[in-house]
Amino acid sequence: MLTLRTLLRPSRRVHAHCDIPCGVYDPEQARIEAESCLRIIEKYETSDDKVFRARCLHVKEERAELVKHHLDVLWHDYFKPEHLDKFPDLHETFWKATKQASKVKQTVDAGAARELLSMIDRIDEMWKATGGPEKTRVNGRPG
Amino acid sequence: MSGWRGPARPLLLLLGTAAALFAASRALRRIDAVEVEGASMAPSLLPGDRLLVESWTYARRAPRAGEVVLVTDPRSPSRELIKRVAAVDGRHLDLRGDAPASSTDSRHFGRLPVAAVRWRVALRYWPPRRFGGLPAARPSEPLDLEPLGGEPACTAFEALIAGGEQG
Repeated sequence: MLTLRTLLRPSRRVHAHCDIPCGVYDPEQARIEAESCLRIIEKYETSDDKVFRARCLHVKEERAELVKHHLDVLWHDYFKPEHLDKFPDLHETFWKATKQASKVKQTVDAGAARELLSMIDRIDEMWKATGGPEKTRVNGRPG
Repeated sequence: MSGWRGPARPLLLLLGTAAALFAASRALRRIDAVEVEGASMAPSLLPGDRLLVESWTYARRAPRAGEVVLVTDPRSPSRELIKRVAAVDGRHLDLRGDAPASSTDSRHFGRLPVAAVRWRVALRYWPPRRFGGLPAARPSEPLDLEPLGGEPACTAFEALIAGGEQG
């Protein structure tokens, strides 16, 4: 028999989702993925193996996407409006760095990958200058 | 049987018709009932809240800022998220949880195409004491919500749904 209860029974669960807000941030995460991109490009250039080269392209695109993701998380979640006073070029820096990561994703240009590394290093300086290692890493950043 | 001949007859017919229409709408996926999991929409929505959602609005027009919508999780397509539309920018939506400090939303997975959204939240029907529509915008101050399990305000309705097979 049709009851109010069956009529109103939820068909599914919907998620008011939150990744655990752990508060751990470090530009190193983006840098390691960007270093992978550079090394993959170097291996790509020295290989004649078609299959290997195809794998290189595939993995490099994944890694470059991860660079963008890690930079976005730092940009949105770690950096706060007060940091802008100290670094007025913060948005510009992130915007250029994520654009550079797109370039690394699209090309096999080792120079572009090196440029991306130096941009991440600039972000790393801002992270350190705002107390990142002490505030966001457990027991500070490992040396 | 006297009810069928007495003054209650039109009322029963009306209720029966409403129930049949509702069941048909659910079968046609124009209306559905869902349960909230997670706390990123607090204080507007709490875990365990049950909602009626409808799909005809976004068949006609794009979502608007302030509306609470269901959307497939772009990072985990088997999961459906519930978030509020913070802004509409052309054909893209910026989604936020009402509890931004503990919400994974467009700040993490980016803006989503308008076409990704089908269901709009119409109202909350459970728990009965918080029955009704949702606030049209994210509450700017945290609401001082009474703890769950406060005084019952709609015991008859509550019993009707929770109690089982009276219908």
